[in-house]
Amino acid sequence: MTDWQTLGSLWDWTSAIWLVAGGVVAAYLILCRGALGARAWFLAVGVAILVFAYVSPIGVLADGYLFSAHMVQHLLILLVVPMCVLLSVPRSKAEAWFGRISGSQVARWSVVGWLSGLGVMWFWHIPSLCSASTANASLGVLRDAMFLSAGLAFWWAIYAPLERHRLAAPKAVVYLFSACFGCTLLGIYITFTAVGVCPVFADPVGRIAVLTALHDVGLSPSADQHLGGLLMWVPPCTLYVGAIVSILCRWYSTGGEHSPHRRGGAVLHSTEMKNNAE
Amino acid sequence: MGSALPAFDPASPQAQAIHELFVQVLCISAVIFTIVAGLVLIAVVRGRKRATMPDQDFGNEKFEIAWMVGPIVIVLWLAAVSANLVLTVNAVPKAHPAGHTDADLVVTAHQWWWQVQYIDTGVVAANEIHIPAGKKLRVRLESADVIHCFWVPQLTRKMDLIPGRENYVWLEATEPGVYQGRCAEFCGVQHTWMEFKVYAHSQEDFSRWQAGNQVVGAKLEAGNLAAAGQALFMGMTCRACHAIVGTEAVGTIAPDLTHLAGRKELGGGVLANSPEDLRRWLADPGAVKPGCKMPNFKLTDAQLDQLVAYLGTLK
Amino acid sequence: MSADALDEIAASDRARRASAHSLLAWVSTVDHKRIGVLYILTATLFLVVGGVEALLMRVQLAVPNNTFLGPELFNQMFSMHGTTMVFLVGMPVLVGFANYFVPLMIGARDVAFPRLNAMSYWLLPCGGFLLYYSFLSGSAPNAGWFSYAPLSTKPYNLMQGVDYWLIGLICLGVGSVAAAINIFVTVLSCRVSGMSLQRLPLFVWMSWMTSILTILALPALNAALAMLLIDRCLGAAFFEPARGGSAVLWQHFFWVFGHPEVYILILPAFGMISEVIPVFSRKPIYGYSFVAASSAVIVLLSYGVWGHHMFAVGLGVTANIFFAVGSLLIAIPTGLKIFNWTATLWGGSIRMTTAMMFAVAFLLMFVVGGLTGVMFAAVPIDWQLTDSYFVVAHFHYVLIGGTVFGLFAATFYWFPKMTGRMLDERLGKLQFWLWLAGFNCTFMVQHFLGLMGMPRRVYTYGDSPGWAALNAIATAGAVLMAAGTLVLVWNIVRSLRSGGRAGDNPWGGFTLEWATTSPPPEENFEAIPQVKSRRPVWDLDHPEVADWKTSKTPADTGWRPDKARASVWAFVASEAVFFVLLLAAYVVFNTRHTDGPNAANSLDVVRTGVFTGLLLLSSITFWRAERCLSAANQRGFLRWLGVTIVLGVAFIAGQVIEYYGLVSDGVVISRNLFASTFFTVTGFHGIHVTAGLIVLCVLFVLGRKKELNAERSGVLSAVGIYWHFVDVVWIGVFSIIYLGYLQ
Repeated sequence: MTDWQTLGSLWDWTSAIWLVAGGVVAAYLILCRGALGARAWFLAVGVAILVFAYVSPIGVLADGYLFSAHMVQHLLILLVVPMCVLLSVPRSKAEAWFGRISGSQVARWSVVGWLSGLGVMWFWHIPSLCSASTANASLGVLRDAMFLSAGLAFWWAIYAPLERHRLAAPKAVVYLFSACFGCTLLGIYITFTAVGVCPVFADPVGRIAVLTALHDVGLSPSADQHLGGLLMWVPPCTLYVGAIVSILCRWYSTGGEHSPHRRGGAVLHSTEMKNNAE
Repeated sequence: MGSALPAFDPASPQAQAIHELFVQVLCISAVIFTIVAGLVLIAVVRGRKRATMPDQDFGNEKFEIAWMVGPIVIVLWLAAVSANLVLTVNAVPKAHPAGHTDADLVVTAHQWWWQVQYIDTGVVAANEIHIPAGKKLRVRLESADVIHCFWVPQLTRKMDLIPGRENYVWLEATEPGVYQGRCAEFCGVQHTWMEFKVYAHSQEDFSRWQAGNQVVGAKLEAGNLAAAGQALFMGMTCRACHAIVGTEAVGTIAPDLTHLAGRKELGGGVLANSPEDLRRWLADPGAVKPGCKMPNFKLTDAQLDQLVAYLGTLK
Repeated sequence: MSADALDEIAASDRARRASAHSLLAWVSTVDHKRIGVLYILTATLFLVVGGVEALLMRVQLAVPNNTFLGPELFNQMFSMHGTTMVFLVGMPVLVGFANYFVPLMIGARDVAFPRLNAMSYWLLPCGGFLLYYSFLSGSAPNAGWFSYAPLSTKPYNLMQGVDYWLIGLICLGVGSVAAAINIFVTVLSCRVSGMSLQRLPLFVWMSWMTSILTILALPALNAALAMLLIDRCLGAAFFEPARGGSAVLWQHFFWVFGHPEVYILILPAFGMISEVIPVFSRKPIYGYSFVAASSAVIVLLSYGVWGHHMFAVGLGVTANIFFAVGSLLIAIPTGLKIFNWTATLWGGSIRMTTAMMFAVAFLLMFVVGGLTGVMFAAVPIDWQLTDSYFVVAHFHYVLIGGTVFGLFAATFYWFPKMTGRMLDERLGKLQFWLWLAGFNCTFMVQHFLGLMGMPRRVYTYGDSPGWAALNAIATAGAVLMAAGTLVLVWNIVRSLRSGGRAGDNPWGGFTLEWATTSPPPEENFEAIPQVKSRRPVWDLDHPEVADWKTSKTPADTGWRPDKARASVWAFVASEAVFFVLLLAAYVVFNTRHTDGPNAANSLDVVRTGVFTGLLLLSSITFWRAERCLSAANQRGFLRWLGVTIVLGVAFIAGQVIEYYGLVSDGVVISRNLFASTFFTVTGFHGIHVTAGLIVLCVLFVLGRKKELNAERSGVLSAVGIYWHFVDVVWIGVFSIIYLGYLQ
C-alpha cells in the first residue's frame, strides 16, 4: 500500500461535525428565508471547509498525530470559516439583526475581538493545555468552539455584515498589522523553540502507518513543529496583508457608493462647490 | 593562481548552478533596465519639446494591474528557482546523515588563519585545503573566536563560521586545480589577510599528498643549523602556540607547523613561503601583517638563520 | 497676491529676521523650519566628515599593498563612515526636510510638539559628539556599522570605541523615535481642514510611513544596544558564545531594525521624487493611490525580511526560503512605483532643471540598485555575492543613486522656498554631471570587483589581475564626487549672497508650501487656500481645470485625533517592540535547563504574584480616577490617583525586596544568562514604572493646585494609556518569567 492510499484511508466520514454543519445550514436557511442570494455561496464554502477540516486526513492527523495538521485545522476554523460566515449574512437581514448596534460601540469592542483572536491562539498553545485538549475529547470541543467564536469576534471588526460596523481604514490597518505581529511572534516561537509546544505530538499514542511514512520522508516531530510554526506565521500574515491591501484599495478608490467616507465626500464636494461659487 | 573572474568561472556543480542562475537574472535585469531607461529617456526627450500644457492624467487602474503582472511572474519564477536550488544542488549537508558519524574534514577559523583537520587520517593543515578532485566532501565549519565566513567563489557557497555553532557545506572541485578562498565576514584587524587556497588533486596525487603528510619529520643531525633551530624553537615560547607532530610542541592556538615547508604561502596569504620571506616574517610578523597575534621575538640574525633552517626541514 | 503686498511681507519678514538673527535665537528655537534647517546643516557637516572618511579609504585602496592608513585606522574609518552616513547624515537630513516641509505641506502652523522637536534635534549633536569623542579616547569604533558580536564584545574589543558607539547610538535612537512620533502625530492631527489622509502630498505620505517605520524599528536596535552595553559594562554574556550567549541573536536583533532602516532612508527620497517629477512634467503623479498604497505594503513587508541579511549564517532551509520569498515580494510594490514615475514623465511637458535631472538620474540609478537587490533576494546568488564588493556597489546604488540623488533633487527644488533665493542652474548642472560620472565610476566598477572575489572591508589587497586598475578608477570617481560636493557648497554660499529672488512659487509647484512666501513667515501662512484635491495650489492657479472638477478624491471626514493620546499610543507601540525583544531574549536563553540560578529555584512566585496583583489593581484605581475627573469630582480624583501612586510604589518596593534577596544570594546580573535576562527585563520594566510614578506625582500636584480639571482630562487619559501599558507588559513578564509560560 503506498503512502497516498494510506492517506486516502484516513477520511473520517462519521465525524460529528456533520451534525454541526447540518445545524448551521438549517439555521441559515431558516433565518435567511426570502433573502437568499449570491452570499449563500460564502456559507457553502465556509461549511465545506469546516467539514473538510474534520473529515479529511487533516482532521484525523490533527487528532494527536501531526502538529502541522493540527495547526492547519486551527487556521481553518479560526480564520477561514468565521470569515465566510460573516460574509454570508444577507444585507437585508443584517440590518434587521444588528441594525440597532451603533458603529462606535463596535469600534470600542474591537479590542476584545483582537484580544480573543490572538489570545485564543496563544492560550491553547501553552504546552499542557495543548496536550490536554488533544487528548481529552470534551476539552477539544471546548477549544474548537472557542476558536470559532474567537474567529467571529476577530473578523467582525473587518468584515462585519454591516459596513458601518467595520473599523475605519486606518484603524483596520493597525488592527490587522498588529494581529500579524502577534502571529509572527507565536510563529517564530513555535518554529525556533527547543521546547515541544505540544508534547502529545512528539510521541503519538497510537501509531498509524502513514505517520511512519511521513517520518521517513523527513517529517520528524521537530520538523513537524517547524512546519507548524511557519504555518502559524505565514498563512495568517498573508491573509492579513491581503486584507490590508484590499482595505487600502477601497480607502483610496472613489467610484463606489457603499463606503461611509465616500458618501460624506460627495456631500462635502457639493458644499465646497457652493462655497467656491460664492 | 585561481581565476581572474571566479564568479564566472565555476569549478563545481554548486558554483555552476549559482553561476547559471546569476547569468539568467543578469539577462533579465539588463532587459528590465533597458526598458525602463528607454522609456524614461524617450519620455524626457519628447517631453522637453512639448511646450503646451499636457493632459492632466491621474492614472489608470487597468494599466497598474497590467504592469504588475511582469514583476509578479519574474518574482514567482525567481522564488521557485531559488527554492529549488536551496533544496537540491546547494542543499546544506545534513548534520548527521545516515551512515556518517562525522564530517570528512573540519575547518576551524581563528583570528586570522584557518585550521584544516582531516577526520579519518588526523592530518592537520593550515590555510590550505587539499582535496581529491571529483569527490564531494562534507566540511564542518567552526570558529574558535569571532564570526568568520568561508568563501571559495569557484567551488561553493558562502557559509559563516560561528562560535558555539556548527555549520556544514559541501566542498567539491570538478577538475584538479588551485582555487582561491578567503574570509568574507569582517573578523577584526587582519580580516584582510585571512586567505586560503583549495588544492584539488587527482586521486593519485591526493593519496601521495596524504601519505606524505602522515610522515613525521626526520631526526635532525645534532650540531647543524636546523638542530640548533629546533632547540631554539623548543626553548623559546614558540611551542606554547604552535604544534609540530613528533616533538614536544603541542600548542593549538596558532597554525600547526608539522608540514610548514610544504605550504605555498605564509600568514594567510600575505607572503609567499620562501626562505627569505619566512625570515622576514620571523624577524617581525607585525611589520608584515600589522596586528597579527604572533609577537616580535627580537631574534638575532643567527637565530633567524637557525629557525629558517629548522622550519625548512618540516616538509 | 499683489506685488505691493509681497514687498510688504518681505520687508516685515526681513525686520523680524534681523531681530531674531542672533545665535541664541537659533539655539533656543522651537520653530519647525529653523529646527529643520538645523537638522539639515548638522547632517551636512557630518556628510563632510563621513565623506572625508570615505575618501581616506579610497586613497588607501587606490593601489595594492598600500600602507597609507594601515588596518587599525582603516577599520575605524569604515565603521565610522557607515555609522555616520546612516545615523548622522541619512536619518537627520530626511528628518530635517520632513520637519521643514511636512507642516507646510499640510497647512499646519508647526509640528504637533515644537519643544519635543527641539529636544529631538539637540540629541543629534549630542549623539554625534559622543560618537566622535571616541577618537580622543584612543580608538574609534572598529567593528563595522553593524558591530557583529562577538567581535564587538569585551573579549575581542577592549577599547572604548564600541562603548561610545553604543551610547551615541542609543542617544540618536531616542532622538529619532521622538522626532518620528512628532511627525506621526503632526500628520494625523494637524492637517488643515480639507486635507484628508488620502489627499496628502506624497512626500508627506512617505514621511508618515517613515515615521511609522522608525517608531517600530528603532526600539529593536535600542534593545540590542542596551543588551550589548550590559554585556560590555556589567559583565553579562548575551552575545558571548564562550559563556553561553548567542552570536546569532545580535544579528537577528540588529537586522530586525536594520532592514526597515533601509526603507527609513529610501522612502522619504521616494516622496521627494514624487513631488519633483510631477511639477517639472507639469502633470499630476500617475497612479497616486498605487504609489501611496505600495509604500504601505513595503512598510508591512519590511518587518518580515530581515533574514535576507543572514543567508550565509546557516539558518536552515525553511527560514532561507521564507525570507527569500518575502524579500522578492518587495520587488513588486517597488517596481510599481518605478512604473508610475515613468508614466508621470510620459506625455509630460518637461523642464530639465537641475532638480529634474537628479530626479531622472534617481530613476535610472535606483533601478540598477533595485535589480541587484533582487539578485540578493535569490538565496544562491546571495551566497556567492554577499559580503563582497558587489554588495557594497548594490547598497550604494540604493543609498546614493536613490537617497542622495533624491536629496539633491529636493535641495534644488526647495532651496528657493527655504531661503527666498534661487540656486544657480549652471553650477547645479556641473555638480550633477560630476556626481553622475563620479558615482558611476566608483560604484559600477565595484560590481566587477565583487565578481572578481574582492571581499568588503579589506584594508588592502594583493596584486591580483585587474584589481589595481578597477580600484584606481573607483578612487578617481570618489574624487569627482567630492568635487561635485564642493560645487554645491559654493553654489549655496553664492546664492545666499547674491542668488536671484525666488518669489512664492518659482517652479509652478502644486502643494501648499508654494502658497506662502519664500521663506515662509514664522506662522507659515497668511491664508491657506482651500484644499479640495491633492494639488491645492494647482487648483488655485488653474481654476478652469482644477483637479476637483476632473477627478474625485476621498474628502476630509474631519477626523483629527487628540495629539496627546495619539503620541502616547505611538510611544507605547514603540516601547512594546522594545519589551517584546527583551522578552524574546529571555525566552531564547531560558528554554533549556541550565545549572545555577534559574526562575524555578530563585524566584518567589507567590510573593511576586501579590505585588503583581497590586500593580494590576493600580490600573483599576487609575481608571476610577479618570472617571472622577471627567465627572468633575476633584476630591475623588485625587483620592484614586493617590491610591494608584501608593500601589505603584508598593510594587516598586516589592521589586526592591526581590532584588535585595537575589543579590544577597549572589544572583547578580553577570552571574549567568538567567540572571542577565531576568534583571534586564524586570529592570527596564521597573524603570518604566518609576517613570510612570513620577508623572503620576506631577499630575497629583497639578490636581491639588486645581490645574488639572475635567476640560484637561485628555492629558490624564494619555498618561493612563502609558500606565495600563506598563501593567500589560508586566502581565507578559510575569507569565513568561514567573509562571514559565513558553518554557
